[in-house]
Order: sequence, then C-alpha cells, then structure tokens
Amino acid sequence: MDAAASASPGFSQRLQRVQVAATVAMTTKARAMRALGIDVIALTIGEPDFATPRHAIEAGYQAALAGQTKYPPQDGLPVLKQAVQKKFARENGLDFALDQIMVGNGGKQVIFDALMATVDEGDEVVVPAPYWGAYPLMTKLLGAKPVFVNCPQNNGFKLRPEDLDAAITPRTKWVILNFPNNPTGAACTREEMAALGEVMLRHPHVWIMSDDMYEHLLYEGEYVTMAQAEPRLRDRTLTISGVSKTYAMTGWRIGFCGGPQPLIRAMVNMQGQATAGVSSVGQAAAAAALEGPQEVVAECVAAYRRRRDLVLTALQAAPGISCHKPQGAFYVYPNVAGCLGKTTPAGTRIDSDQDFTLALLEEKHVAVVHGGAFGMSPYLRISYATNDAALAEACKRIVEFCTSLS
Amino acid sequence: LPLVFRLDRVPRFARVPSKAAENNIPMELIAERLNRISPSLTIAMTSKARALKAAGRDVIGLAAGEPDFDTPDNVKQAAVRAIMSGETKYTDVAGTLPLRKAVAEKFRRDSGIDYKPEEIIISTGGKQVIFNAMLATLNQGDEAIIPTPCWVSYPDIVSLADGKPVLIPCEQNNGFRLRAEALEAAITARTKWFILNNPCNPTGAAYSAEDLRPICDVLLRHPDVWIFADDIYEKLAYDGFKPATIVEVEPRLKDRTITMNGCSKAYAMTGWRIGFCGGPAQLIKAMDKLQSQSTSNTSSVSQAAAIEALTGQQESIREMAEVYRQRRDLVVEMLNAAPGITCHKPEGAFYVFPAIYGCIGKTSRGGAKITDDESFTVALLEEEGVAAVHGAAFVYPGHFRISYATSTEALREACTRIQRFCQGLR
Repeated sequence: MDAAASASPGFSQRLQRVQVAATVAMTTKARAMRALGIDVIALTIGEPDFATPRHAIEAGYQAALAGQTKYPPQDGLPVLKQAVQKKFARENGLDFALDQIMVGNGGKQVIFDALMATVDEGDEVVVPAPYWGAYPLMTKLLGAKPVFVNCPQNNGFKLRPEDLDAAITPRTKWVILNFPNNPTGAACTREEMAALGEVMLRHPHVWIMSDDMYEHLLYEGEYVTMAQAEPRLRDRTLTISGVSKTYAMTGWRIGFCGGPQPLIRAMVNMQGQATAGVSSVGQAAAAAALEGPQEVVAECVAAYRRRRDLVLTALQAAPGISCHKPQGAFYVYPNVAGCLGKTTPAGTRIDSDQDFTLALLEEKHVAVVHGGAFGMSPYLRISYATNDAALAEACKRIVEFCTSLS
Repeated sequence: LPLVFRLDRVPRFARVPSKAAENNIPMELIAERLNRISPSLTIAMTSKARALKAAGRDVIGLAAGEPDFDTPDNVKQAAVRAIMSGETKYTDVAGTLPLRKAVAEKFRRDSGIDYKPEEIIISTGGKQVIFNAMLATLNQGDEAIIPTPCWVSYPDIVSLADGKPVLIPCEQNNGFRLRAEALEAAITARTKWFILNNPCNPTGAAYSAEDLRPICDVLLRHPDVWIFADDIYEKLAYDGFKPATIVEVEPRLKDRTITMNGCSKAYAMTGWRIGFCGGPAQLIKAMDKLQSQSTSNTSSVSQAAAIEALTGQQESIREMAEVYRQRRDLVVEMLNAAPGITCHKPEGAFYVFPAIYGCIGKTSRGGAKITDDESFTVALLEEEGVAAVHGAAFVYPGHFRISYATSTEALREACTRIQRFCQGLR
C-alpha cells in the first residue's frame, strides 16, 4: 500500500491548518536530486556546519557512560538550569530564579509549549514579517490567529514601533520578536528595542516572546533582548534561547527559556503531556557548552561574518538581485524583483520568487528557499552556514543563472 | 467493589481540581485547554517523599515508573561513537532512516509485522507518539476508549486534544483485563480511538494472542474505530508469557492501528527519550507534520544509541526480566501476607496494583483514619517511610501501585513495613 492509498482516521481540523515547512520541502527536493547523482548545493537549512565544541562532546559522552540516562525532571536537569541561569545573568543581565527557567526539545518546543499553554481559539499573535514559518503555523495549529506586521526592506527589515502599535488589538495575547531575524538577519539596536518596549508598555495585556536563538551571531553592534532593554516588561516577557545555533548543537535538541514563574509552570505542565523531559545526555552537553570556554563562539562568528561578506560581494554581480546587508544570523534575504517576468534558458518563465527557486534548482542545482515561505516576496533566503568553497560556487551559479535570464 | 462501579458514573474531569488551580497560575494567562489536565498525583507523592527524605527520614521510594538498571554498555558505547563522529546535526523530523529501518526490523522480528520506513516515526519518548496521534486526529467531542486502571497521560492527552476519554474499569477479579463485551458496549458513533496498554501500567496485566482474539473480533465489527496499541512494556513479561499486539493477532486491523513501542523500558533508556511507532503511512505523515511544528526530531545521539539497542545484543533484556520476575514474586507473596491487602500476580511490567479494601475504615497506629487509597498511602509514607502511588492517580481508587524496579533488599524491607503497617490497623 503506498502513502496516498493508505487509510486515514480522518484528521483533526487543527492538522489541516498546518503544512510542511517550505524549508523542509526544498531540502527534501535537493536531497532527492543528490540521490540521483546530481551535484546540488543546498543553502536551505538553518544549521551551523561547525562541530559541537570539544568540551560539550566530552560532557555528553561522560554523561552517557556514567549512566546519567534516567528520566530527567520535566523542566530540565538542575545542572543545566543553573548553567542557563548564569548565562542569562552573564550575557543578558537578566536574573531568573531556577523555577523561572525551563528546558525544551529545542527552541521550537519552548515556543510550542508557551503558545499551547496560553492561546485559545480567537486569540491573536502578532508576528513581524518576514518570519520563521513555525510561528504562524504553530499559532494556527493551536486555533489562534497570526497577525502579520511587515518589516520592509527600506527599514532594514526592522519592526517599526508605529506598525507594532497598530497591530495590537484587545485579542492580542503575544507579540513575537526574533532579532537577529530568521530569515533576514536584521537585528535591533538598544534604542530600537527600547522604542518597541515603549509600545508594549502601553498594552499591558500583551505578552512578549523574545526568540533570541541567534543572539550570538551578530556582526555589528551590541546584542540586547527586550527584557533587558525595558525591565518594566520583565513580568510579561518570555526570553528564549538555546545551544543549537550558538554552539552548533542542532542535533542535541536543547532549547531553554526564562520568564515569569506562573507562565513557566504552565509550560512545564504542557510539556509534561507532550514529551516529558529532554534527553539527559543532551542536557549534560548543553550545560558544558554554556559553562565552558566561549572562544569557539567568537571563532564561528568570525567565519560567518566572512561568509556573509563573501555572499554579499558575489551577489552584487547578479543582475536583477539586490541584497540588503544583514547584521546577524546566518542568512541573507536578497530581493529578486528585477528577475521577475524574465525567462530562463530552459524556457521557464519567472513570475514569482518560488518560480525563481524551482528554476534555480532545476537548471543550476542550487537549493534556496523562496521568500513567500517567510511571509515576504519576492525574496530568497540563502543560508550561508556552509563552507566557503560551496558558498562561492553556489553564488557563481546564481550569478550565471541571473545573467542567463532574458 | 463499590468503588469501581462508582467511578464508572462519576466524570473524573468534573471533580478533580485543575492543574492550573493547583499551581496558582493566573487564569487570564493560560489557555482553556490547560484546565483539562488533571494534577499529577504521582508527582505530589514523589515530592512528599522527597521532603521527608530531606528531613532525614529513611524513605523507600516505590513510586518511580522507570527501570533501576543502567542502560546496557553496548548502547552507551554506540552513543559515544555517534557523539565523537559528529552525529550531532538535525535529522529528518521522523528520525534517521537507519533507525526507522531498525525499528521496522524489530517489528518484523518480534511481532511478524511488516512496516516500511515511511510507516514509522521516531519521537521524543512514547508519550510524544500518543500526543502526536491524538492531536492529529481528534476533534471536539470525539471519543477515545481507555480501559482503567490506566496511565493518566492517556485521558489527559485525549482531553488536551479536545477529545473525550471514555473509561472502562477492568476488575481485579478478571486480572485487570478488559472484557470484550465491555469494549463492545463502550463503542459509539463518536468513538475514534481505542487505546490498549499491554502489559499495563499500573496493573502489570498483559494479553496473549489468545486474550486479544475476542477484542480483535469486536474491533473488526467497528471499522471506524482506530486502535492505539501501546506496547512499551512488551519485553517485560514473566514465566514465559508472551504479550501479543493487535496487528500481530489480526492483520486485517493493520490499516487502522498504531503499534507503539520504545527503548525506555526494555533497554532501561528512559532518559534518552526514544519512542516510536508503526502505522498507516498517511497517519504517520500527519504525525510527522505535527512533530515538525512542535519539536522536530528527537536527539540525534539518542537515535544512534537506539539503533544499537534494537539491533545489538538482546541478552540484557532477559537478564533484567529475570530479576524483575524474582522481585514480582517476592512482592506479591509478601503483600498477600499483609492483612487487608489482596494482590493480584500480574504477567508483566514492573508494577503490582494491590487492593486495600480490607484496610478501609480502619485507623493506623499513628492515628490516621484510612478512608480511601490516598489516606492509606499518605499514612504509609508518614508512619513507615514507604512511598507508593495511590490508585486514584490511575483513575482507579481502592488500590495502590508499587513499582518493583528497585533493589530486592529495598523491596523486602518495604514489604515488611507494609505488613507491619497493615497489622497495626484497628
């Protein structure tokens, strides 16, 4: 029996509100072509190409060998929660008690827990666009309504306070902030964050979810999170981070957060029903990553900055593309408006950013994700979390592709 | 057995205080669905035991639901190899292909069921498999039939997913097994799922192929009912008893059954968080979609360890099972010697679920009035330092659960104390 013909129990309405992430779909397509022997360069995934730091690796295997392999507490192992507590104090100037901290199976689960514990049918969640697709999909999955606020390119893809203000209604439960941003790489200065904080102070019924997963991947300026920029918002702000991006630890699945204790309690209750605790070995490794030497982070950041500049420089030669210079994360988000309406050598007409990405994959074997998947077209998201040689080759192919359009 | 029948009529979810109220979580913050989760009675007991221990009391904990054995060495070594070789990146949301193949092989070898890799998903523990299946399928008012005593997460997850748990009490005098006629009577036009835990937490009751036959016959007559077979304790059965699974017994039910299993209990791998299931590709795909929006893949390192657990030496399972069997026999015998207690000897898992009807209405040496299973376990903890979980935590009052996944000496001492406690009741 094949997949299409197999039986189905009749799915829930909530499931029908969710689709497979475009990032995943594009990655799968690239993988399938590669399996056919085609030399595909995939720039689709938000995953560091570096190895997990040495000391984290050692802590992980020592935990495994020492038998730290029992059910961990649902809110996280004390050793990791203490490391997270110190991290928030050291890096973000935020003081959390241990019962204001919890650990999830990746930052994704932390966000899911928070939304699932708090949103009801009809509640609104303000999501600045471009956005990580998981925010609106989870919101819809849980019966709430995502409300998008455009962050235009001419404002550096940043959220304007007046636009945020206009998006808030009496039904707004959350505002999600994600700077440095996936997919644009845009980051906020302290002043910009404080200005957004001013808006939030005027709406005391709204909670703030600050997804700081890319906080360390910042190439210009100083990082500041909302609870730090506007301490008066601390009692309704959830500050989320993790080890995936900072320490190249995606596969270990460790995300964490700090926030008001009643919210954290509700989230732990929710997670207790979904997955219970998180891999104990992963937690030991994450604690070591947070507590150990931090030079590896600076090394990665230097490499990412170099790659960002490499991509920006290379894409300048691509006719029809204009690329904003991002301050952080490991993505660029070039505008492809100048390529629309044109035709590829193979005869494909490019009418949208999705047409562009499909043709680029077919004809030049470079996989990137179209901006529509992140709520703003016509753009591409290019992840530069891959080695310099592959990046240079991919950019060369993109330039050739754009040059060949007529 | 009056307690059992009363339970049948009282909607449990109407009378228990909500989790949110218990934790003083402000109502305006939380979603309505959070109110549907019942408070964790197991955790309440565990924290009480911890507090006594911290105060210097000698407490024997029999409340935990996890093996006291260590993860087998070959599995740990596989994890170390994965860590050292950089298997620390995202995997497919549904799990790595090698692990899904190993799971397919496990189902073929142990149960004679053929699943293709695309009919298998790996999750963060068996709990997430249940969570995904229920969230992917239940709409408001859909019913899920759950035999009780049960693991309380089933009704909680069903409720979270807007479904309605329909509970069928299974009496001790039938070995806590579900009667086919009771299942038949519980099925309605709104029934979407039937959840069967074999062997069962908290009773240890298990079903052989022969035991499952009449249940399968009922299910064949109701083609709209889907089946969730939670076989997480499959490997823990004693005296040659072989727990069967639904699809193995009735292949015609395969296209509407989820066969769930995992590494936690069989390989003492609770902390690694690996659960998995086989099922129709469309449902697996739906569960994959949900998982991609809630957690993505489970730990890549744990997945590598799970491959070794499933494909490497299986001798450690037999060794553990033999130890569990000896402990079960010890505990059942000693508990049946305690006045007021009757303890059924179960086929599997690592729990016994003795009845305390003979103790109710009496007063302990310490002056505690034993009015129900909760006052029994509280007094037992306070007066004798033995931590067990009362039956209401498994939606079945009048009993308590003892986990014998602890050392034989500790078990012997705990049972001696229980005997002394019961002898002291007046």
